[in-house]
Amino acid sequence: MMKLDPKIPPGPLETKWDRRRFSEKLVSPNNKRKIRVIVVGTGLAGASAASTLGQLGYQVECFCFQDSPRRAHSIAAQGGINAAKNYQDDGDSVGRLFYDTIKGGDFRSREANVYRLAQVSTQIIDQCVALGIPFAREYGGQLANRSFGGVQVSRTFYCRGQTGQQLLLGAYSALCWQIERGQVTMRPRTEMLDLVVVDGQARGIVVRDLVTGQMSTHTAHAVVLATGGYSNVYYLSTNASGSNVTATYRAWKQGAAFANPCFTQIHPTAIPPGDVHQAKLTLMSESLRNDGRLWVPKMARDHRPPEDIPAAERDYFLERRYPRFGNLTPRDLASRAVKAVCDEGRGVGPGGHGVYLDFADVLHQEGLDVVRERYGNLFEMYQRITGEDAYHAPMRIYPAPHYTMGGLWVDYNLMSTIPGLFVIGEANFADHGANRLGASSLMQGLADGYFILPYTIGHYLATAKFTPVGEDHQKSRAALQRATARISRLLNSKGCRTAASFHRELGQLLWNHCGMSRNEEGLKLALTSIPALREEFWRGVMVPGSGEAFNQELEYAGRVADYLEFAELLCHDALHREESCGAHFREEYQTDAGEPQRDDSRFAHVAAWEYREGASPALHKEPLLFEFVPPTTRSYQ
Amino acid sequence: MALSGLGLVIYVIFHMLGNLQVFEGSHALNGYAASLRDMPILLWTARIGLLSLAALHIVLAIQLTFRNRRARPVAYAVREYRQASFASRTMAASGLVLLLFIIFHLLHLTADVIDPFSADRLDAEGHRDVYGKIVHAFQNPFIVALYVAGQLGLGLHLTHAVTSSLQTLGLEHAAFNRLFNAAGPTVALLVVLGNVAIILAVFFGIVRG
Amino acid sequence: MKFTLNIWRQKGPGEKGRFVTYEAGDVSSGMSFLEMLDSVNQGLIAKGEEPVAFEQDCREGICGSCSLVINGIPHGPDRGITTCQLYMRRFPDGAVIRIEPWRARAFPIIKDLVVDRRALDRVMQAGGYISVNTGGAVDGNVLLVSKDQAETAMDAASCIGCGACVAACKNASAMLFVAAKVSHLALLPQGKPERTRRVRAMLEAMDREGFGSCGNHR
Repeated sequence: MMKLDPKIPPGPLETKWDRRRFSEKLVSPNNKRKIRVIVVGTGLAGASAASTLGQLGYQVECFCFQDSPRRAHSIAAQGGINAAKNYQDDGDSVGRLFYDTIKGGDFRSREANVYRLAQVSTQIIDQCVALGIPFAREYGGQLANRSFGGVQVSRTFYCRGQTGQQLLLGAYSALCWQIERGQVTMRPRTEMLDLVVVDGQARGIVVRDLVTGQMSTHTAHAVVLATGGYSNVYYLSTNASGSNVTATYRAWKQGAAFANPCFTQIHPTAIPPGDVHQAKLTLMSESLRNDGRLWVPKMARDHRPPEDIPAAERDYFLERRYPRFGNLTPRDLASRAVKAVCDEGRGVGPGGHGVYLDFADVLHQEGLDVVRERYGNLFEMYQRITGEDAYHAPMRIYPAPHYTMGGLWVDYNLMSTIPGLFVIGEANFADHGANRLGASSLMQGLADGYFILPYTIGHYLATAKFTPVGEDHQKSRAALQRATARISRLLNSKGCRTAASFHRELGQLLWNHCGMSRNEEGLKLALTSIPALREEFWRGVMVPGSGEAFNQELEYAGRVADYLEFAELLCHDALHREESCGAHFREEYQTDAGEPQRDDSRFAHVAAWEYREGASPALHKEPLLFEFVPPTTRSYQ
Repeated sequence: MALSGLGLVIYVIFHMLGNLQVFEGSHALNGYAASLRDMPILLWTARIGLLSLAALHIVLAIQLTFRNRRARPVAYAVREYRQASFASRTMAASGLVLLLFIIFHLLHLTADVIDPFSADRLDAEGHRDVYGKIVHAFQNPFIVALYVAGQLGLGLHLTHAVTSSLQTLGLEHAAFNRLFNAAGPTVALLVVLGNVAIILAVFFGIVRG
Repeated sequence: MKFTLNIWRQKGPGEKGRFVTYEAGDVSSGMSFLEMLDSVNQGLIAKGEEPVAFEQDCREGICGSCSLVINGIPHGPDRGITTCQLYMRRFPDGAVIRIEPWRARAFPIIKDLVVDRRALDRVMQAGGYISVNTGGAVDGNVLLVSKDQAETAMDAASCIGCGACVAACKNASAMLFVAAKVSHLALLPQGKPERTRRVRAMLEAMDREGFGSCGNHR
C-alpha cells in the first residue's frame, strides 16, 4: 500500500526551509566521490541539478535524448522569470509572491513548497547574473523588470523574448564546466526507457543509445528525473516535438505515484492551427497581452474584416468579464474565455478558431517604434507563419496546450514515492497547483535544480542503506528485458498506419473530451475510446527500419505508445475531480455566470495515482492544509 | 599569414610609389634606382627579407588551404554564398596567379632573362637605364597584357587581404569598421591604378624614351 | 503545390551517400518546410520504406536542432531564420529543391540529413563558461551593467548553436560560434577575469575538432 508522506517541516512557514536544511544529514566530502547520481534531462532543472551535484563532488551521469544538452525545451520559454526582489519597490515581497502563486494555483498546491519557491527565487537571479546571463538592464545599469501574466507587481526578469534560452544556456555552461572537470559524464542522444528498482529504491535506468540502438543499464545511488511535461499527449501543443511522457510514465509503472495529471495548462496566446499537416502550435509570448486587447465581434458569424467592425460592435471580452485584470487575466481564465466566445460562434479566422489580439490602441498612443522595439520579433514571427502583418491588422490567436502542472508526486524533499527517485522541474507535480502563473516555470526549474534538490538528495544519500547493484543485478536485467521486449514488439507490429496518425487521433480525442473544458460524459467516452485506439495501435502501427540503428520513427512510436496509456490516467484524474479549479474546468461545476466552482470540502487534496497491473489506477489523497492563506474564491473580476 | 601579408603589402605600395617616378622622366627614375644600388647591403637585406617573407607567406598559405580543404571532405552539390565575397573565396587562386606573375616579373625586369635587350644600357648620366628598359618593355602588347593581368590578380588578392589582415590583428571597432572594411578595396584600387597607369602610359606613348 | 526534392540519403556514418529524388505533392503554401518533409516521410513509412532522417525539435527557431542546407544555403533562402521557420509559400510551385546535410569534417553524418554536432559542445566545455559555483553569488544589482553593454552581450548570447555558421563557411570554421560565446562573456563584467584563458582554450579546442580557419568574411 502506497503511503503519501509529504514530510513538511512543522512550525512557522518562514523558517521551514532553514530548519529542514539544518536538520538534514550531510554527506562527507570523501564519500561524495564514491556516490553516483543519475540525472535524466538537461532542461533548466536537469542541467542546474547536474552541474550543482557535480560541483558538490558527486559522480554524476547525465542523459538527454537531444543531440546536445543545450537543446532541451526550456530553451523556448520566452517571457521571463519571477523573483521576489522588489527592485521596483512596488510592494513585492516573498510573502506576496507566495500568495500570488498559491492563489494563481487555485489553492491546489502545498503552502510549504510554494513559500520555499518564493524564498529561493531571489537567489536564482543572483546566481544567474553571476553565470553571465545578459538580463535586460535599465539605463542606470540595474536589472530591469516587467509585469507578467496575472500579477500586479513588476517582478519578472527577462532577456528580450528569449529568457528561457539564456537561462538554459547559463545552466548548460555550468554543466559544461563540470563535464570539463570530469564531475559529470554527459550522454546525449540517449533515451531513458525504464527504471531499475532494487529493494524498493531507485537504483538505475535503462537507456537506448539513439545512434547505435544499443540498450544498456546504468546504475547509481539515486536517480533524478528532470524530463519535463506531457503536453504533447494532445498531439498539437507548443512543446518541442521530442518532449514526451516516457520517462515519468515508465517510472509510474515502477511504483512512483503520479499526481494531478489532469492539471494541464492551455496557453491563451498561440497562433491558431492551420491545416491537418500542422505538427506544432507556436506560442506568442504572453507579454503581448500587456498592450494587446482581445476582442471578437459582438454578433455571431460576423465575417466582416476587423477594420470594418466599429468599436460599438466589438466585445472586449476579457475587459468585460474581468475588469480588474482585463487582458492580463491569468492563463486558465483567459483561455476558457476565448473558448467560450468561439463556442458561441463569434470566433474569427478559419473554422472560427481564433480571437483578435489588437494593438491598434497602443500603436496609436505610443507609436510604431515603441511597439516595434517591444514586440518586433514576435510580430515578425507572426508574419512569417501566417503571412499577415500585425502592425496593420489585429493578430489572431487561439489557446494551445502549453504546460503541465501535474507530474510525479514528490514530497517536500522532491523525492517520489520510490525512495531514491527524485523528480524536479515540470516533471514533478510541484508548486503550481491547478494553474501556473506566467514566468514561474523557469523559477521553479532553477529553484529545484540549483537550490533545493542538491540539499535534499544529500540527506537521502547520507541516511539510506545501499546494497551493491550493477548491470548484472537481477533487477537490472529484468528492466533491460522489459524495455527490449517493448522495442521488439513495436518493430514486429507490421501494420500500415504511421505512429503520427495514431498520435493525431489521440490528440483530437483528448482535446475534445479532456481539453479546456471537460464533462463526465465526454471523459467516460474518452475512457472507452482510448483503450480501443491503443489496441488498434499495437495491431496496426508500422515502424520501418531496425532497432540496432538510428531510427527516429522507432523513438517516436515508443513515445506514442506511452501517450496511449498515459491518456487514460489523465482522463481518470479529470473524471475523479468533480470540481472546477484552475486549469481543470468541469462543465458540471460552474456558477450561473460561468465561473469555475471549486469544492474545497471534497477536493482540497492532491490526487496521487498508483499503477496497478491489469486494473484501473488506484487513487491516494494527500490532503492540502492551508494554515497561512485561507482559501478564498479566486476572483479576478 | 596576416603579418607576412601586411609586410608584402607595404612593399607593394612603396614599389608602386617608387615606380611612379617614371612620370618625372628618366633622370628621376634612374637616379632613384641608382640610389638604391648605392646601398648594396641594404638592398640585399631588403631583397632577402622580402623573399623570405614571400616564402613564409606561401608556406603558411599552403598549410592553411590544405587545412581548410580537410575541414570539408565532402563538398556540397549546390552552393550559394551569401556573405563571402568573390575575392575572399579565390585567395588561393589569385595568390597563385600572383606568384607566377612575380616570377615572370623578376625574370623579366630584375634578372633580365626574358628580354636581355636593354640589360646593360646606361643613360646619359652613367646610371643604369631603368627608364629605358621600362619604356622598351611596355611597347610590347603581349608584355602589357601579361602585366595588366598580373595587376588584376594583385588587385583581387589585396581587396580581401588587407581588410582580412586587419581583422586577424583584432582591429575591430564599431566606429572604425567602415574604415577597416574599405581598406582592402582602397589599397587594391590605388596600387593597381598606379601600376597600370605606368604600363598604359608607356604603351600609349604618353611616356616616351 | 508540388515540388521535386533531391535529398541526400546516407545509411550511416562513413557510408557512401547519394541524392534520391522524391516528389512532394499536395503541399499547401502555409505548410512549413519541415511539415512538407513530414508529409513525404508519412508516405514513405506507409509504404514500409525508411523515412528521411532529419533533425528538428522546437519548431520555433530557438533550439538549434534543425540543420538542412536547402539549395546551397544553410536554413534555406530567407535570412535570419532556421529551417523550421521556412514556409513553402517561399518557393514557386513546381520548384526543384536540393536538400543536403551540414557538411564538415567536425560534423560527421549519422544518417541522411542528421549530423553529429558534439564538437560544438566540446568547444564549449573547453571554456565557454564563467567558473562560478552555485550559491554565494552577490546580489544581482551589485554588478552594474550599462544598458548598451547588456544589449550587445545579448546580441552575441542569442546564438542558438545550430552550426549553420560552420555549414555556410567556405572553410567549415566554427569561428562565429566561438566568437559569439567569447563576446557574450567578455562584454560582461562577470566574464572579464577569465576572458584571455577562455579565448585560448576555445580556439585550441576548435582547432582540435578539425574545423577550418576563419576566412574573415564580413
